[in-house]
Amino acid sequence: MLGDWAAVLVFAVIAMAIPLSLLFATFALDTRSKRRAGDKRIPFESGVSANEFHAHRFTISYYLTAMLFIVFDIEIVFLYPLALRMHALGMFGFAEMAVFIVLLAVAYVYVWRKGALEWR
Amino acid sequence: MPDGFIVTAIKSFVLVNLVMVMFAFMTWFERRLIGRFQVRLGPNRVGPFGLLQPIADLGKLIQKESLIPVGSSAFLYLVAPVISLFSALMVFSVVPFGGQATIPGTDYQIYLWIADPNVALLLVFALGSFSFYGFLVGGWSSSSKYSLYGSMRAVSQLVSYEVSLALAVIGVVMMSQTLSLTGIVDAQQRDGVWYIVPQFAGFVIYLLASTAEVSRIPFDLPEAEGELVAGYHTEYGGMRWAMFQNAEYIALIAFSALASILFLGGYDGPVLPGPLWMLIKMFIFLFLSIWVRSTLPRVRYDRLMTIGWKVLLPLATVNLLVTSAIVAYRA
Repeated sequence: MLGDWAAVLVFAVIAMAIPLSLLFATFALDTRSKRRAGDKRIPFESGVSANEFHAHRFTISYYLTAMLFIVFDIEIVFLYPLALRMHALGMFGFAEMAVFIVLLAVAYVYVWRKGALEWR
Repeated sequence: MPDGFIVTAIKSFVLVNLVMVMFAFMTWFERRLIGRFQVRLGPNRVGPFGLLQPIADLGKLIQKESLIPVGSSAFLYLVAPVISLFSALMVFSVVPFGGQATIPGTDYQIYLWIADPNVALLLVFALGSFSFYGFLVGGWSSSSKYSLYGSMRAVSQLVSYEVSLALAVIGVVMMSQTLSLTGIVDAQQRDGVWYIVPQFAGFVIYLLASTAEVSRIPFDLPEAEGELVAGYHTEYGGMRWAMFQNAEYIALIAFSALASILFLGGYDGPVLPGPLWMLIKMFIFLFLSIWVRSTLPRVRYDRLMTIGWKVLLPLATVNLLVTSAIVAYRA
């Protein structure tokens, strides 16, 4: 079993060579002089160009979505081992899963009623 | 290692390059096909039927000026496309293209997969989540507001659909009783049915969610060019931009391969050899994706979130409950 992970590692090293060589090529093979880059290096903007780094603000909804993702994804990670053993556990396993999903559904309905799933 | 170090290294090298060739072919195929859908010719000048177009594109893109935007953090800016492409390529370390094969002329047996860990499916999802960092880091470090908004959109879209995707696949896991991808193919032979039949709802959810995961039309909100210029890769040009595109296409190919394995029996099929079946099934999904792309308009962002959280998630949960009831009843 450990051998399979060693094979994944070998593949990872070889797969890493592709993006790294492409990135290297962008420096080695570009054809224009960098001294004449000028205003081209300023980030694209319609209107006034910004010159320094801005940590722009963004909507709170994105943050909320990330929170919801963490809650639901962890629940799913718990479901995977149960799903693997479902055939062995039989109706007991189904009852366990049903209880788990009902608990999840309570949280889901709460989140829905609170309006966290509406995009604003 | 199932095949020993040297054979694994050779196989990895061949597979990585094959995937890159498949990507090049895919760009050509998509442009030709979309040309046909729109009643025009598509690229047909470079080489026979325009087949050498991807190579001409590579030659052009690699010579482009390599600029790093003012005010960006250069290291993160450069590392982001590498993360994206690497995590997309890594999925193929566990994708099986066949069972065992004999090298012609000898009686040396090799496996037609690099590795087959018993949690391969979890590794695929982990890599899928890892690719978010490419978008997030790339969009944040370019110091442009379009890039930032694009990356925020990309990541919240991907995490929303990741939930439904993972839930839809649990049905298959429950029926096959394994997380190993070769194990899932074997289980479909054992059960005598491809899981698209008993898991049809799961298949539909998987198809929708994976389209959103690789941000293809109708879910290509991250780079909605009408509103966000180009989303998270606004500030990228030349080969670095191409690396993001490359990652997207390779993720599409990987999700097609995964769909073939989970729902269409993978390399299982009559008459023809296994790897050919696998490629045919992948090709069906790739064609479907191009067809959808040239047919549907883009959805609105709030609709996208509604589909993800209020439609696909409950549907996937119901599918999960029904499947678990059937599996538990049969046991």
